[in-house]
Amino acid sequence: MKILSLFVNGTKHQVVINEHDTLVKVLREKLNLTGTKMGCEQGSCGACTVMVDGRAVQSCITPALKMEGCYVSTIEGISEKDREHLLQEKFVQHGAIQCGYCTPGMIMTTLAFLKENPHPNHEEIKEAISGNLCRCTGYKKIIEAIEAYVKEINGGPKLEKKTVTNKFNMVGHAHPYMEAAKKASGRADYADDIKIKNALHCKLIRSIYPHAKILAIHTEAAKNLEGVKAIVSGKELPISFGVLPISQDETAMAVDKTRYVGEIVVAVAAETEEIAEAACKLIKIDYAPYKPFLEMDESVSDAGEHEKIHKHTKFNNNIHKKAELRFGDQQQGLKEADHRLEMEFKFQGINHGFTEPHAATAWWDENGLSIITATQVPHYLHRFLAKVLETPMNRIRVIKPYVGGGFGGKSDPFPHEMIVSYLSKVCDRPVKIRFNREEVFLTNHGRHPSKMKVALGMTNSGEISVLDADIVIDGGAYGSFGVVTSYYNGVLLQAPYKINNFGFKTLRVYTNKPQSGAMRGHGAVNSRFAVETLLDEMAHKLNIDPCDIRFKNFLDHDTLTVGHYRITSNGSALSLKKVMEQSNWKNKFGKLAFGHGYGVACGFFISGSALPIHWNEYPQSVVHLKVDMDGRVLITSGASDIGQGSDTMLAIVVGEVLGLSMDNLFVIAADTLITPIDLGSYSSRVTFMAGNAAKMAAENLREQILDAVVKYTGVEKSELNLASERVYSNDQKVNLSWVEAVEMGTRFVGALNSTGHYNSPKLGGDFKGAGAGLSPSYTFGALVAEVKVDVETGFVKVLNMWGAHDCGKALNPLAVEGQLEGSWHMGLGQAVSEEMRYVDGLLLNANLLNYKIPTSLDTPPIHSNIIETIDPEGPFGAKETGEGALHPSLPAIANAIYDAVGIRITSLPIRPEEVLRKLKEKQNELAAK
Amino acid sequence: MTEEKTYIKASSIQEALQLAETHSSHCKFIAGGTDMMVNKYQGNDTTQHLIDISGIDELKTIRKDDTYLYIGSLVRLSDLKKNSDIATEFPVLLEAAHAVGSPLIRQTATLGGNILCENRCIYFNQSEWWREAVGYCLKCNGNVCIATGGKKACFSEFASDTAPALIALNAKVKLIEPSGERVIALEELFSGDGIKPKTIGTDCLIKEIILPRGQAFKAVFKKLRLRETLEFTSLTTAVSLNNKNDLRIVLGGVDPKPVLVKAKLNDNKEDLIKKAIKGGRAVDNDMFSRTYRRDMISVFLKEAFALLNI
Repeated sequence: MKILSLFVNGTKHQVVINEHDTLVKVLREKLNLTGTKMGCEQGSCGACTVMVDGRAVQSCITPALKMEGCYVSTIEGISEKDREHLLQEKFVQHGAIQCGYCTPGMIMTTLAFLKENPHPNHEEIKEAISGNLCRCTGYKKIIEAIEAYVKEINGGPKLEKKTVTNKFNMVGHAHPYMEAAKKASGRADYADDIKIKNALHCKLIRSIYPHAKILAIHTEAAKNLEGVKAIVSGKELPISFGVLPISQDETAMAVDKTRYVGEIVVAVAAETEEIAEAACKLIKIDYAPYKPFLEMDESVSDAGEHEKIHKHTKFNNNIHKKAELRFGDQQQGLKEADHRLEMEFKFQGINHGFTEPHAATAWWDENGLSIITATQVPHYLHRFLAKVLETPMNRIRVIKPYVGGGFGGKSDPFPHEMIVSYLSKVCDRPVKIRFNREEVFLTNHGRHPSKMKVALGMTNSGEISVLDADIVIDGGAYGSFGVVTSYYNGVLLQAPYKINNFGFKTLRVYTNKPQSGAMRGHGAVNSRFAVETLLDEMAHKLNIDPCDIRFKNFLDHDTLTVGHYRITSNGSALSLKKVMEQSNWKNKFGKLAFGHGYGVACGFFISGSALPIHWNEYPQSVVHLKVDMDGRVLITSGASDIGQGSDTMLAIVVGEVLGLSMDNLFVIAADTLITPIDLGSYSSRVTFMAGNAAKMAAENLREQILDAVVKYTGVEKSELNLASERVYSNDQKVNLSWVEAVEMGTRFVGALNSTGHYNSPKLGGDFKGAGAGLSPSYTFGALVAEVKVDVETGFVKVLNMWGAHDCGKALNPLAVEGQLEGSWHMGLGQAVSEEMRYVDGLLLNANLLNYKIPTSLDTPPIHSNIIETIDPEGPFGAKETGEGALHPSLPAIANAIYDAVGIRITSLPIRPEEVLRKLKEKQNELAAK
Repeated sequence: MTEEKTYIKASSIQEALQLAETHSSHCKFIAGGTDMMVNKYQGNDTTQHLIDISGIDELKTIRKDDTYLYIGSLVRLSDLKKNSDIATEFPVLLEAAHAVGSPLIRQTATLGGNILCENRCIYFNQSEWWREAVGYCLKCNGNVCIATGGKKACFSEFASDTAPALIALNAKVKLIEPSGERVIALEELFSGDGIKPKTIGTDCLIKEIILPRGQAFKAVFKKLRLRETLEFTSLTTAVSLNNKNDLRIVLGGVDPKPVLVKAKLNDNKEDLIKKAIKGGRAVDNDMFSRTYRRDMISVFLKEAFALLNI
């Protein structure tokens, strides 16, 4: 122990620390300055950046004692009295903040950099922030915010807010997130930032074998360690769970055997993190290894004498699910095809890469269990905590704090959530857990690795006559969303093109690897890549422009697909037209020098799943409103804002209906005790479903207020309007402030409340499997990519991405652009650099150094276009925007490579090595000719 | 967890050396710490006693005389560009420094620290749990090299980006040890043993890096990495030509030490490339395959020769 003296944000502190502690721990744990975030703890993400004597420093790799006598500034210290720092304001205004977890580090890096270079150009800014990873924004709005700040402090003209002519007051205007300032200032509390008094710390022991019987767990030595409060293992929590009722195949800790390297075997609760860690080292586990199944091929085959991964699989193999649907007549389609193509594809798994590692704190009191956790699905967690802990739902409360990104990676109930809940019961103390980055990767639930054979038939006139896909996806050790993923891989291929003869078969297999699950663009990303690649190849074969071949085949609006999806609004053609024009496609595609190319692709996705996971007639989303004498409308909703802006969306919708501005709106969301049920933030459902519920709730509240105004003024209801915080009649004879109108409404009841809900209409066919992929609305998009290929090294540089996405109606264009840019950026990552690589079932790159999320320098200019088609059932015409946009970005890049150098990319990520190999093959072929 | 750890800031070279002597059994000097702290986090560096030398101003100066430029070992990578002599006479050093890590790393990391950066291997730079799961390798007290599937030698990659550039520029380093000062060619600092890649002890400090002036170096630096920033090297090449027609080819990232091929301007370039490739013992211990990295040696060197017009 040693005493460290340092100045933090101008105040002198003396802190007792351990000699080799890092600065970030001192700031967060000793000084409670939790605005400084931990994303990787290895200097690879920049979330922990602070300033030391004016320089940017990554506090996770800075020894605390190095700071003796130093002046440290953190995000909490840069705002001026009563006002955020101007750079913070710019981040807020420009939509540079989504989940907000990278924001403090990003701002500190920028401020330090601007001291050295107060007049940077665009490229210099891009370079300066290239050590700070952001997973939400694609960096575009961050760079714009910094540019705006630089302009303003250098006396440039203030950027005027774009005035939008718009029939709406709230909808369609750019709104920074309601909580953006809080995130920019470091005041927003994420799960690990929240300290519950007297909490113990939990650490986990994870399996070092992919598939092994647990023979014995030796805990005696650890139990005797001072400060150790409990040691638990799988047999104590044996009840299985899984997000889907049909895949209850996971337990909180391994029971009897382990199924992947990294599976939790033992959990320890202790007074400090260090003691818990030390205890883990003292626990010995004896294993007897089984043969591991690591490859899809192995899992499809008969397991022979070997122990299967799960007993419940139907046959003596490790096939978890077979999904197969056929529509039309594929044989006939093949006959009709004048041109047939079949290609094989292979995709590595990828991880969500959200910047905030999982964290949770659980405690029990007179009200039962409460848990604060970084989750996208408080409701499902609520259900499965009840199941696993055998505790009624009315004794459980799940609270979602600010969440640092999810992308599907926080959309399952997780073992660690069960474990801390259980440990806190056993110890009768709150128990806290925080994952490191390696644990985040091991927990995974990322995109399924997959391989597929896809065949496309086309007539001479360029119409698709048949599509067939034969797919295997690697589910890893457990089910997660995998049954849905299996269907989505196939069913979501039935649009955006008209295909009368279509079929697929997907096998989802178990392997002894961390489980796959749902990730942005769920299920359809890889198979979309295959189809868009085949279409490109077909276009070349038929000598038709790849855009034209798509125009020729697009489904119409207000139509049905072959599998009975009801297509209402459809912006496919508008999207494609937009990106063609903007990218100057006609003058570029096929006309550039060798090594330089353009590629195009389109996309299609659901806007919420029409069928709930837990099949019932219950509404899928409910929103409550409350208002009393202060006039502020409280919106409560179970919808989980994970950085995508759903809280703000709810406020916009309610504000629009009631004629209110943000000043009179307040959102409390995702607390299962306080907020009404919503199924969670997954499958792109929130804007459509919670948005509609909010709209209904607001309309109900409006009726109550108007009824009162009618009662006391005698004016016809149809004469009354709500706008600009007023309620007024057309002739202005009634002209009440909002508070006056509320007073009329509440005169005898004290407060008003209202409720709204949403449930999808009955949709789809009546055949088995008809429910898969049904959605009340669908989204469409297109993207053109420009690449340069270095033919010596095989490196692919993406130079530009022009994207367009049909979101129905942009309720908040700032947020929609942010979602689009983030989606395209994530697609870029999967295309060119990201993959989960294993050696003997052990994840080789469970860190942000070797799992390669594109940095600002790796991200090309992104040109965003919002396409509006006004969906007939979406709230004010809106539909999803958070996932569907991702799909076209990967194949567009691959197709651009074909345009550049004439090689077909059939596996992702696009490794330079593979590009080079294909280039050589092609040269050899040409030489042979 | 009860083992005694210390962290002491030394204010002079002499104090640093004395501290090293006191804690001779288990100590290291720490400067920027960007490399060491990650190794400590992963449990690969368990040094008990850290002697922080970053406060020693004497090691932060850059000076010159007629024949040499002397760069203090504690000059931060991002500060090198502020010196006009380096910018005009040795711009390739700036390129190399700029290729290190990310802008955040470069603001903390020092030139001396980068030269002494620990060797790397994807089977070594992992958490303690991970290394247990894979079966400890030679570099962490195991019996065999995992990357090669069982060889009895360690092939961890030489990871410094600045060292290859400096070696190409014929740099020397002045070392200070308890026994006194000595100057050696930079390449002599590296042993070629992946487990203990340095020829110096933990009680030795690099005082300064010495670059010969007046040789009118023309030099080309290249680094193989998937992303444009944040990455350690998978292959670094630095090629220089001076006014005496000495050609120096240096490779990093493909051997436990920098590979140096000394040649003359008119030597057969194909032969030199072959020699360079042969000089490295690259194995599959990197996110890029061994084959690809070896192929890229040729591509990078050809490009360097072309840029040097030779």
